[in-house]
Amino acid sequence: MIARMRGTEDEVLARRVASGDDRALSDLYDRYSGLVYGAGVRYLGDRGAAEDLVQDVFLSVWRGAGGFDPGKARFATWIFRITRNRATDLIRRRAARVKTVNEDVSKPYLEPGEEDSTGGIARSFDVAAALSRLSPVHREILVLAYMEGLTQREISTRTDTPLGTVKSRTTAALRSLRANILSEEESSSG
Amino acid sequence: MDEREHMMARDLLGPYVLGALDPEEELVVEDHLQRCAACRTEERELRQAHEHLSELMGVRETPPPEIKGSVMSGLPRRRTLREMRRAPIFAAAAALITLSLVVIFSSGLLGRDAMASATLESTPLAPEAGGELRVRADDPNARATLEVWNMPNCKKDEYYELWFGEEGGRVSAGTFKVDERGRGTLQMSVPEEAGNYGQVGITLEEFPEEPRMDSAKPVLTGELEGS
Repeated sequence: MIARMRGTEDEVLARRVASGDDRALSDLYDRYSGLVYGAGVRYLGDRGAAEDLVQDVFLSVWRGAGGFDPGKARFATWIFRITRNRATDLIRRRAARVKTVNEDVSKPYLEPGEEDSTGGIARSFDVAAALSRLSPVHREILVLAYMEGLTQREISTRTDTPLGTVKSRTTAALRSLRANILSEEESSSG
Repeated sequence: MDEREHMMARDLLGPYVLGALDPEEELVVEDHLQRCAACRTEERELRQAHEHLSELMGVRETPPPEIKGSVMSGLPRRRTLREMRRAPIFAAAAALITLSLVVIFSSGLLGRDAMASATLESTPLAPEAGGELRVRADDPNARATLEVWNMPNCKKDEYYELWFGEEGGRVSAGTFKVDERGRGTLQMSVPEEAGNYGQVGITLEEFPEEPRMDSAKPVLTGELEGS
């Protein structure tokens, strides 16, 4: 996963998807499927429905990539909107089915139209985009620390890097991530 | 304040906010933070980044691995139109069509060096627009090249879609947007039998709505002829 996360910006991958490159879609899936699925669990309160959401969202990305304009929005913002819209569709479909078959359906954790009070899901898409734009060295160190939960010493062993270098790189990586997040937020609000 | 001490403490701020320092190092950083406003500011900023990243990890969940296989195998393929769904041909649009045919053959429509083309005519949705489509053999399928001009600019979630159609159905050949001058080009692989389709057209679509025959907005239309 770390190797595959190297390099290409989301917007470049989206352009490749628009020209029919399914490997580019595969890369975007690796970057964002976890977020889409996690958001789906929260919006829909159901893992099966969240799996449907993941398939809906990436099919929408495949079909609609030709209409994505990177000059108007970041890819992370675009896929977040798709996720939210598709989740709304699924909830409405489910509500309509409940009316006809009188099924008991668990209430979603969140209504997609009402973001969680801290804006956490929307922000998470921005953070994922910011993370993907880090240099490979910085991205790797944060992935190892946050996704794999490694200590600084374990990262040093895994990457064959002196411990002192790991510590200073962790600081530099967080610094770069913060700058990227600010840039994503400006693009999202612009 | 010792510059060396300052740089050393500053470099440790990342693992400090992660809670990943040894107790002795942590004391050194905390002692420095009490005396250095710049590092206190940076510590707050890095802690915010740390919290955002932690939040991301809290939202993110890995979907079952088989989902990716379902997604990738279920993609409507653009390089071949055989699997794409059909919808009723845009009969309503046909009433608006001004047909203009320019067909060039060398050794049959899809012979080795054969080429077929159609000049696309405007509809009331884009009275100044125009386009040219060329289809040529490109083993094992065929290759289509589309050029359009004076097309209206798309709104935020809008895009154009190229269709090959015949009585009873239509299939999509790809989507595109135009530049600020209303120009666009599209190259795609199409099935060899594309030349047998009677009609071609470009519609205006809006994401994330699914393109529907009964609500199609034809912008350019034309007719292909084959041998």
